[in-house]
Amino acid sequence: MASLLDDVREVARGWRWGRRGVLPRSAELSSDPPPAKEFPTAWARTPAGRGAREAIQRFVLRPLVWSQTRPSVEGLDHLAGIRPPVMFVSNHASHLDAPLVLCSLPKPWRRRTATAAAADYFFDVWWRGASTALVFNAIPIERAGGGRRSTNTAQALTARGWNLLVFPEGTRSRDGWVGRFRHGAARLCIEHGLPAIPVAIRGAYAAMPRGRSWPRPGRLPVSVRFGPPLAPREGEDFGSFSRRLQVAHARLWDEDRTTWWDSVRREAETSTPPISGPEAARWRRVWEASRPIARKEPSRVWPK
Amino acid sequence: MSRPGFVLEVDERTPPLLVHEGEGFRLQRFPMGARVVYPPDSLPAVRDLNAAIRHALLNPHGSEPLPELLRPGMRLTIAFDDISLPLPPMQTPDIRGRIIEHVLELAARAGVDDVRLIVANSLHRRMTPSEIKRAVGERVFRSFWPDALVNHDAEDPDGMTHIGATERGEDVEINRRAAESDLLVYVNINLVPMDGGHKSVPIGLGSYRSLRHHHNVHTMLESRSFMDPPRSALHGSAARMGRLLADHLRIFTIETTLNNDTFPKAFGFLNKREWEWSLADQANMLAAKKANEKAPARIRREVFRRIVSPYGVTGVNAGETEAVHERTLANVHRQQLVEVDGQSDILVLGLPYICPYNVNSVMNPILVQCLGLGYFFNMYLGQPLVRRGGVMILHHPTPWEFHQVHHPSYVDFFDEVLAETTDPTAIEAKFEQQYAQDPWYIHLYRNSYAYHGVHPFYMWYWGAHAMEYLDNNVLFVGGDRRAVRRMGFRAASSFADALEMARDVVGSSPRITYLHSPPLALTEVR
Repeated sequence: MASLLDDVREVARGWRWGRRGVLPRSAELSSDPPPAKEFPTAWARTPAGRGAREAIQRFVLRPLVWSQTRPSVEGLDHLAGIRPPVMFVSNHASHLDAPLVLCSLPKPWRRRTATAAAADYFFDVWWRGASTALVFNAIPIERAGGGRRSTNTAQALTARGWNLLVFPEGTRSRDGWVGRFRHGAARLCIEHGLPAIPVAIRGAYAAMPRGRSWPRPGRLPVSVRFGPPLAPREGEDFGSFSRRLQVAHARLWDEDRTTWWDSVRREAETSTPPISGPEAARWRRVWEASRPIARKEPSRVWPK
Repeated sequence: MSRPGFVLEVDERTPPLLVHEGEGFRLQRFPMGARVVYPPDSLPAVRDLNAAIRHALLNPHGSEPLPELLRPGMRLTIAFDDISLPLPPMQTPDIRGRIIEHVLELAARAGVDDVRLIVANSLHRRMTPSEIKRAVGERVFRSFWPDALVNHDAEDPDGMTHIGATERGEDVEINRRAAESDLLVYVNINLVPMDGGHKSVPIGLGSYRSLRHHHNVHTMLESRSFMDPPRSALHGSAARMGRLLADHLRIFTIETTLNNDTFPKAFGFLNKREWEWSLADQANMLAAKKANEKAPARIRREVFRRIVSPYGVTGVNAGETEAVHERTLANVHRQQLVEVDGQSDILVLGLPYICPYNVNSVMNPILVQCLGLGYFFNMYLGQPLVRRGGVMILHHPTPWEFHQVHHPSYVDFFDEVLAETTDPTAIEAKFEQQYAQDPWYIHLYRNSYAYHGVHPFYMWYWGAHAMEYLDNNVLFVGGDRRAVRRMGFRAASSFADALEMARDVVGSSPRITYLHSPPLALTEVR
């Protein structure tokens, strides 16, 4: 007869206490999603939560990310003259993305920015949910849609002047390229008259792709580029605004890859390269996306 | 909407699975790739049960409405299923009582004075007054007990009547009062596909003289399975008897079906798939498991005895027996049927603490055998879940323990008959008559609360098909070695040991299937 401790251990191991729950593969289709219950995050926006987050972001997160990668941050000048709240709309290829964007923002913006995070991934167990809420000021978002409560939380936050950082692809890219934007972010912008600020992140996939829990060694370069704000037009629908956001994102990506002038010229000629990557076999897409981005060294004034 | 049945393939994400083992349960890890058959989720219950009963009685299938069959001066008999159904006993009010109240209400309005209620206990033990009261409800009990609410007595020479013989020479002998009634209303609970239909009256109110025509080894070997009436010789024989009876007697059948809400809230984790257990379910399971292991055997048994099911009723149908039963079977299939792709080499079962013949009693080794090799092995349509020559692994402690009042003939069967041979055919030929006609067993059956002397034989025959099909390759995990050996099987100290022993028979990489039941699942193996 097993002791109580043995039984508790067996259950803890079998049901993965403190980790993501169990769901055998063959049961995935037949199992109901867990009942909708939003993880509480309001505590992370109290003065104490904000103070702790500022300290963590400033003294732990930023030094850590900046020591493991070599980020370059451009386009923050676009924030000048804009009144919050805004929505930062970024592509998503790595767990580095949220720390990169948040730690790139000037302190007044960073302090008032919340991050939309997948409820099923980041808020499935209490300790992951609590740490994500504290460090990133995250709120849970239902990726499958239908999460009325999480949309309400986002609306309440923007109504109170909080900026939102969202990744409209809904998940990290599997091949490093940018997928289709879902309409949730566009809808929120239109309903609340929020300007969207596109953020293009390049190199994060090469530095720390899906499946890695730590950046690749060698301090790979990463680029974070903020674009000019994009406001919904009068009477514009979700789909149209979402498409404009993708076009703006593609131009920003092109700008980061080449120059602002070239990207604007190509945009005018509607020849901006697609950010969805080349039409090729998957390995070639991954291959291209894994290539570290060119390091932008300042041009030498004096020859060697 | 309730989810259909499901076959899980064990992978590294699969938590340990719950396996019943008598008055307890264990968490068991299964080999990767093993299949686990889960029953469909519980179907929603009928919301307004009184309305459903009224509707069934007023709109019967293949019969006039019940009020049209009732008239002053008639002899009305109401027979109903005994304590062997449902399992575990259902929360009160029992569906039998509710239906009987509706029938009596109509009878009272029609001015019927001569009413008799009979527990259709066949050769089972008599129900005690408190058990009857629980089944029929206080109002019915107070009105009819003890004169007009009685147990069936298959050995009462004056209480039985021979109706005739079927075209195959099968004697049909049933309760005299029922046979001589102007109308016999039968109230059934159809827990598994074996129940109901023509099995109700000819068997429930029958005698040994009648039952011996289908409760025998030959019929059991030809019933593939006895949970699939069209392919069951047992049901074929019962149907012939039922049709003969229908020519002599007006029978109004009322059949009910239940959903899979088998265990009450405190044991709710037993109704769920393991990976869907909440933290509370896990805590409940741990608490129940530990409390169960620590408790003295007497307390443990008492706790299990007190379990009552929150069963919901999924259908009430009334009218002519065959027309009703067709609908009943469809309802049972809707709740229990699971499609499974192909047979396996090893079938694993966890046997629970209860079977039809040990309610408020002890599950002796013969009943353990009957539950595993009889009931669960036969829970299939088409072909068994395990291949011919395969192995069955059963989890049950199989204690050498008998209820002295309920199962006296079982004690002697186990000590005398099985000590000599375990071959059902040899047992039938040499011992059955002796036990069936033993005056002491008959006396205990009629006056005490004992199962009939022949009953352990039937339980042994119930497993005859599985024994022959598996060539007696049956392993009991955690079983009492002496008791298991007496039955001609083998005991294993652990599941891992049992698998090793099974591999000697079926090869080194067997296909394993675990039938996760109860709640009940009926497999249709393609």
